Amino acid sequence: MTGVLTQITSRQWRIHYTRLILTIVGIALGVAVFFAIQTTNVTLVNALGGTIEKLAGRATLQVTGGDTGFSEDYLKTVRATPGVALSEPVTETMATLAMPEGEKIVVLGLDTTSDLKLYSDMFDEKGLEVKNPLAFTSKADSIAVSRKFADRYGLKDGDKLPLRTQAGTQEFTVRAIFRSAGAGDVFDGNVAVVDVYASQELFGKKGRFDRIDVMNSPNVTVDDLKQRIRAEMPAGITVERPERRSEGLENTVSSMHLGLTVMSFLAFTVCAFLVFNSFAISVNQRWKEIGVLRAIGVTRGGIQRMFLTEAAIVGVVGSIVGVGIGFMLAEAAIGVVLNVSLTVYGAAASPGALEFNYGFAVEAIVAGVVVSLLAAWLPSRAGARLDPIAALHDIETRTSKDVANLPRLAAGVVLLAAGLLLTTFSTPTVGLNIQLFYTLLIQAGMILLLPKFIEWGSRALRPLMNYFFGVEGLIAVETLIKAPRRTASTVGALMIGLAFVYSTGAYIISQKAAIDGELDRSLDVDILVTSSQQLQTTSNHFSAVTAASVMSLPEVAIADTLRISSVNYGGEKVSLLAHDMKSYFAMSPNLLEEGDRQAAESKTAEGKGVLISKNLAYRGNLRMGDTVKINSPTGTLELPVVGMLSYSRSEKGTIFIDKGVFQKYWNDTDVDDILIDLRPGTDPVQFKQRVQAAIGGEQDAFIYTHDEFKKWVDGLIDQFFALFYLQMVIAIFVAALGLVNTMVISVDERRRELGIFRAIGGLRRQVMKMVLLEAVAISLIGLAAGAITGLFNAYFLVHTAARVVAGFSVELIFPYTMVLTAVPFVIVVAVGAAFLPAMKAARTNVVEAVGYE
Amino acid sequence: MENNPIPVIEVKGVRKSYANGAEVCALDDVDLTIGHGQRVAIMGQSGSGKSTLLNLICGLDVPTKGQVLFEGRDLATMSDDDRTRIRRVKMGMIFQTFNLLPTLTGVENVALPLRLNGVALREANEKALAMIEKVGITKRAHHRPDEMSGGERQRIAIARALIFDPPVLLADEPTGNLDSHTGEDILSLLESVHSEFGTTILLVTHNEHAAEHCERRVTLLDGKIVADETDTSRTANVSSV
Repeated sequence: MTGVLTQITSRQWRIHYTRLILTIVGIALGVAVFFAIQTTNVTLVNALGGTIEKLAGRATLQVTGGDTGFSEDYLKTVRATPGVALSEPVTETMATLAMPEGEKIVVLGLDTTSDLKLYSDMFDEKGLEVKNPLAFTSKADSIAVSRKFADRYGLKDGDKLPLRTQAGTQEFTVRAIFRSAGAGDVFDGNVAVVDVYASQELFGKKGRFDRIDVMNSPNVTVDDLKQRIRAEMPAGITVERPERRSEGLENTVSSMHLGLTVMSFLAFTVCAFLVFNSFAISVNQRWKEIGVLRAIGVTRGGIQRMFLTEAAIVGVVGSIVGVGIGFMLAEAAIGVVLNVSLTVYGAAASPGALEFNYGFAVEAIVAGVVVSLLAAWLPSRAGARLDPIAALHDIETRTSKDVANLPRLAAGVVLLAAGLLLTTFSTPTVGLNIQLFYTLLIQAGMILLLPKFIEWGSRALRPLMNYFFGVEGLIAVETLIKAPRRTASTVGALMIGLAFVYSTGAYIISQKAAIDGELDRSLDVDILVTSSQQLQTTSNHFSAVTAASVMSLPEVAIADTLRISSVNYGGEKVSLLAHDMKSYFAMSPNLLEEGDRQAAESKTAEGKGVLISKNLAYRGNLRMGDTVKINSPTGTLELPVVGMLSYSRSEKGTIFIDKGVFQKYWNDTDVDDILIDLRPGTDPVQFKQRVQAAIGGEQDAFIYTHDEFKKWVDGLIDQFFALFYLQMVIAIFVAALGLVNTMVISVDERRRELGIFRAIGGLRRQVMKMVLLEAVAISLIGLAAGAITGLFNAYFLVHTAARVVAGFSVELIFPYTMVLTAVPFVIVVAVGAAFLPAMKAARTNVVEAVGYE
Repeated sequence: MENNPIPVIEVKGVRKSYANGAEVCALDDVDLTIGHGQRVAIMGQSGSGKSTLLNLICGLDVPTKGQVLFEGRDLATMSDDDRTRIRRVKMGMIFQTFNLLPTLTGVENVALPLRLNGVALREANEKALAMIEKVGITKRAHHRPDEMSGGERQRIAIARALIFDPPVLLADEPTGNLDSHTGEDILSLLESVHSEFGTTILLVTHNEHAAEHCERRVTLLDGKIVADETDTSRTANVSSV
């Protein structure tokens, strides 16, 4: 029987191929977003992990001390630990070529006097080209570059290579070329090696290493050796296998992945509704066919299976197409994600080729088919439950069910209220999967309430339509009121698509506004001088001398230095900001949201307290007065929380300490940002030139006014949300598809009705005007429904999703401008979608239509 | 009236054929003149061309050859809008399957032609209710078609057809979907409409009993008129009403 029923379905596809194609495209786009995000994420994680593991060479353990590195004295301790076969000190700096290309290159500081056995991939005898080994090891300006890099720039032995360093532009001499393998292959071969002790001087790491790469002796296990080294080190120094370090980086970018996953889930709900919509229409179109099939002996189960089989087939085809589109989307997105990873998280990765992950492909296809089946289940059940006599009877019986009945409305209200209440009051410990369910409740509630909403919307539009468009306008809105089931499909398609767009827009705008407010409170300065265009970096810092030269300029009224680093707190990498607290408080009068300002200032400045961000307080369940334990490379600090502020530099949280404490415990006097308030009357533009002159133009320095910095951060946020914007575009496209789909089908379905209309005296232009005005009314109601659902979804995003992802909820700012801007756009799309169907309706062959079955 | 009927409808040498693969001739060389106030039953078996003739008369279709004149004007030479306006105001149409708009209530269905003509909502509804009262179905006025019986739906359809007090009422198998008792009620209603308004009625039917309600009977066979009989006793009967 299934074969015959499938054959019947396939005939339907031939007739209603537009619906079929639009449904497949809808599923494809939902799956595409999901697959693209998973693929992009795994590529990013693999790239991050691969880079770390390649840079580790043959090391089985790595000793690291956070972003600032640690004292070189620990090399002796490591080497003295029994079981260490090989150990190499390393500095790792992302430098910039002082050439017009300005390309980045990772400069590894290695002990060039050693045999570098740990990095034999790069430095094996066959691959290493070094004309004068003695000169390479003895001269401080020696540099080795990878074969790929040398070929790219046409470099050979003795050529000069200028690099920007903390000590200004330095000219190195190429004295060796190594294989582009292992560590020599990261960042597409943009790797250079200098002597580790020379690099300390050049890159402001005097007396410090970034890490020590270690290989264990055959007679000692890696874990045993790890324990032995760990026992000799302070808590702030970590000893890990390289692969575990890459897991840490994966954790660092997990928030970005989580945020994208939440959005891809919402994109899937748009796709699900399109399928639901399409099948609801299909059941309506095939009403008589179902009656005939039931009359000739097809069971209810058979009817339901017929529709579900169709859903499965459409789901498989749509999902396969979606995986293909998703892979292309991922290719377009990976560059953006890698850039965000570097700029926002300071996590650099070699962009590798995008890998097609068959596991994700299968997962996406299964998800697409399951969503398709779930979405088709209700319409198929409705089709199966159809009264065959009623179905065989004439067309008037088809709208007998009141879709705005009380139980339905009650269920809608309950679901909506439950979703909103759970969003507001539920604890974050229930987990993201359950929390995502809240937004489903909200959307399901809105869908159930939709017929009533359409009725209200139509009644509200009635006088306007009557006033502006006369009887056709009036009849158009009355048709909506009288046929909420049919109208609900179209309005629903718009509602879900627009809700997605508005909620995403609201989320981004709210985040921007929150960060904007934070910058006004926490970075309320005239001029900001930064050493890098990354929010966090382990390279490119100003030396204390450079910072002092800027701060001593006569136009400076008050200045503060900021060193940006990170520490492991509660298993997460949280930001550590070291300010000159006295100056910082003086420049930021509204800094604190909790805590006494004066007490906090004196405590932190004396090194007797810390400020923390509110998201850290939320994640770590910290209150005012609680003690924060910070592991530094020289020992553990235990300081009370003396103030809290909203600060979203890091989703994991931020700790503020005084620079004196930082310099003491981290043995680091570098500066990342210089915050300056100018004397009254100083021209900021001229001052910026003075700063450039003070720095000498030798080192990278980015100088912003307060507004310029906010604009830069705004751009960074846009970059962070680039994939969200992409999803918004896709959602708009899916919503437009849904609109076209339902308008085409709606007119097709109403062929007889429009025929009657013509038969009793409706003019062609009246029919056309009526259909077009109906589309306009539908679009306006859909827009309003989308705005309301979007508002609820946005509340979920800023309140719950933001807490899960970033540990802080932000104040909801709804994009009313976006809603209003969408009005003409949506009307144009609706009229465009309805134009051809309206023409068709006006040209309906009345004789055929009134006898149409 | 029967001695000097004014021709309201004239069908002159009409041929209607469809080119659906091979050419199919639905009507061939049909001549028919219908005067004001006549009740004409158009009879014939399925496929004889009854409904085609009705569609040509109401201007939903145009003949392949020949002319259909309404009150002396050739429908084929008119624009679609003009034909539609005539259909809206001067012809009431009743169908076998009622053809009510399912989403509208009885009164809204009846008021629809008025509103298409620009009549204000309240006035249209008032007129529609008055007409519904005339067809004797006031209690169902605010129900939707699916909440009515077949007879009730047909009464609403008749009310809609009469809303402009048209000179001509075209009924295509109006009792075809009704039981005999209800069908009889509907025929009686049409008879009383005729007697009250003097409406010309064209009744397409293959039901002998229904045809008995008309004084003239035109029989079609294979697209040709094979009989055109007038029952003078019924004519006299009508004129005496």
